[in-house]
Amino acid sequence: METFKANDANRDELIMQQQREIEKEISDSTPLVSDQLPLTCLKAEYNGDDIFTAKIQDLAKRYKYMRRTRPDGNCFFRAFAYSYLEYLTCNSHAYQEFLRLAEGSKDKLIELGFPSFTLEDFHETFMEVVKRVCPKSSAGASEIVQTELHKVFNEQGYSDYVVVYLRLITSGQLQEDANFYQNFIEGSFTIEEFRHQEVEPMYKESDHIHIIALCTALSAGVRVEYLDRGEGGSVKTHDFPEGTDPKVFLIYRPGHYDILYPI
Amino acid sequence: MSTPARRRLMRDFKRLQEDPPTGVSGAPTDNNIMIWNAVIFGPHDTPFEDGTFKLTIEFTEEYPNKPPTVRFVSKVFHPNVYADGGICLDILQNRWSPTYDVSAILTSIQSLLSDPNPNSPANSTAAQLYKENRREYEKRVKACVEQSFID
Repeated sequence: METFKANDANRDELIMQQQREIEKEISDSTPLVSDQLPLTCLKAEYNGDDIFTAKIQDLAKRYKYMRRTRPDGNCFFRAFAYSYLEYLTCNSHAYQEFLRLAEGSKDKLIELGFPSFTLEDFHETFMEVVKRVCPKSSAGASEIVQTELHKVFNEQGYSDYVVVYLRLITSGQLQEDANFYQNFIEGSFTIEEFRHQEVEPMYKESDHIHIIALCTALSAGVRVEYLDRGEGGSVKTHDFPEGTDPKVFLIYRPGHYDILYPI
Repeated sequence: MSTPARRRLMRDFKRLQEDPPTGVSGAPTDNNIMIWNAVIFGPHDTPFEDGTFKLTIEFTEEYPNKPPTVRFVSKVFHPNVYADGGICLDILQNRWSPTYDVSAILTSIQSLLSDPNPNSPANSTAAQLYKENRREYEKRVKACVEQSFID
């Protein structure tokens, strides 16, 4: 078998190798989810930029703190999960409701055709995380639960499994309501292709369609504040799904989501 | 030490033993669960029939969030297999889903043997013969089937 041509070298592996090196550099310098930081820390990144400085000032009227997430393509899912669970840790009723929904989600996904063997692995870990941040009523307990949440989201194994499971829930929602979501897909992708190429694989960035599908599946509202170079001195706000009372607040800068804390 | 990757690989192995798919087998190497040896038998009614093709599968701690590196050890003449045994298959690259396990990987490679994709060639000679001279293609494949008995 001497007829392999020289340009048939295994390019895929070279590209993947280079990608791994870049990822390592990012993961060594940024935690998966940071501590709470004052919103004004954003200003330093846009020093001397009038448009961004004005918009950050506008944002600072409504938000005091933020948490940065690692820019690894999973930032929307990780930011959403952290922020929503954080809300649930101090809302016992909403937590119980979410717990029931999360318990039942596995059977629903299996019905939709997801392989039960591997799904179980992600579901088990996801439920373990959810149970570890169960709200407690005793004095000082909310701080303990909050510390636990922060710890578990910075453990790569747990943190990534939570992201995977949310990706699968998103993918399931797209499949269940394929006729609706097909309208939002650009190009010639079918829903099936889109789910396998843009939703289920880790490290693939999220678009509006991911956000809408996840919020719908979990009945959770998200408010996104868009900080970009667009006209006007104020940030654009968008609620998903429209008209809901948001529990999760995120800031979007082109290509990246972080968590916000309203005043 | 038990990590998510190692725990998951134990489960994958258990499942492969309890519910083995037809025509494939695999197991971790003696002292390292992160490196597996596998065998794919050439699918019936294809020129690969009767071949026993050996592979290695290397996992990282990021499994199952990232795909393993899968490589044929046996020589395989196929449009989507590189000279070094590397495999050009979308689910092992940009369409990887964490829901795939070892069993799914091996059965996907098995179907790739039956249905090559000559439009993304890793071996341009094999791709060209597959499209333009099927008899010569099958002859070359059969030669590697015979080679696979000796390896």
